[in-house]
Amino acid sequence: MAAKRQPPTHGSGRCLCGAIGFEVMGPLRDVVVCHCGQCRRQHGAPPGYSQASWENIRLTGVENLTWYRSSEGARRGFCRICGSSLFWEPIDTGRVSIAAGSLDAPTGLRTVRHIFVNDKGDYYEIADGLEQLSGSMVNARPL
Amino acid sequence: MSGADAAITGGCLCGAVRYRVRGVLRPTLSACHCSQCRRHHGALGVYSSADAAAVEIEGCDSLRWYQSSDRARRGFCAVCGSKLFWQGIGDAALDIVAGSLDHPAGLKLARHIFVASKGDYYELTDELPTVPASN
Repeated sequence: MAAKRQPPTHGSGRCLCGAIGFEVMGPLRDVVVCHCGQCRRQHGAPPGYSQASWENIRLTGVENLTWYRSSEGARRGFCRICGSSLFWEPIDTGRVSIAAGSLDAPTGLRTVRHIFVNDKGDYYEIADGLEQLSGSMVNARPL
Repeated sequence: MSGADAAITGGCLCGAVRYRVRGVLRPTLSACHCSQCRRHHGALGVYSSADAAAVEIEGCDSLRWYQSSDRARRGFCAVCGSKLFWQGIGDAALDIVAGSLDHPAGLKLARHIFVASKGDYYELTDELPTVPASN
């Protein structure tokens, strides 16, 4: 029997133009895909997000990071030069979701869940057989 | 509807940039897995396309263009970071980000492109046609 897989404990990433870089020196959560209308508008497609503690993240080029307060409880971080989506931060939690597309390969991560599937677009299907939640992860099994 | 008289509109999350397509929108969507699209969108790049001359844009002062290679540029909202457009340099067509459309009814994801560059953190399972590189 294979040993239980452990998610990675180190990662790095950057925006498309390289003006913003980051290193994660701690555990990264596996990837959750969000189908909410806000995420689909901002990213242009349903984004997959990992997550980590801010205290384990070292950012470079932070002067190029623009934050947009997209709701009462969260803000979204993107590069002002190239527009790359990097972060979704639930305010005052000490944690930040990291857009999986910004991570350097290999990530060692895997997609494990879809959320807000009640808001998904009608122009694609979810066909991967992974867990689906109608809304948020608030009352869901912790990852 | 995607005919010449259809009201095809879209915009960014904060509303600073809005657009209207007075023409035909390609009903088939391509999902691009290239590393540039995945870095830029933080997701796949899912696009329709229209004649650039048929797209009227409001809020151009908030629209930023980033030249992502010697052959293409990407348009996004400087206020909220929403991704809106991809355009090949000198192309008559303007590719439109599917997630920016107000009413994507009638559009359908039809293919995956640049799958040779896909991320290691997901699998392709929907049985749509795949192309190793571009369309």
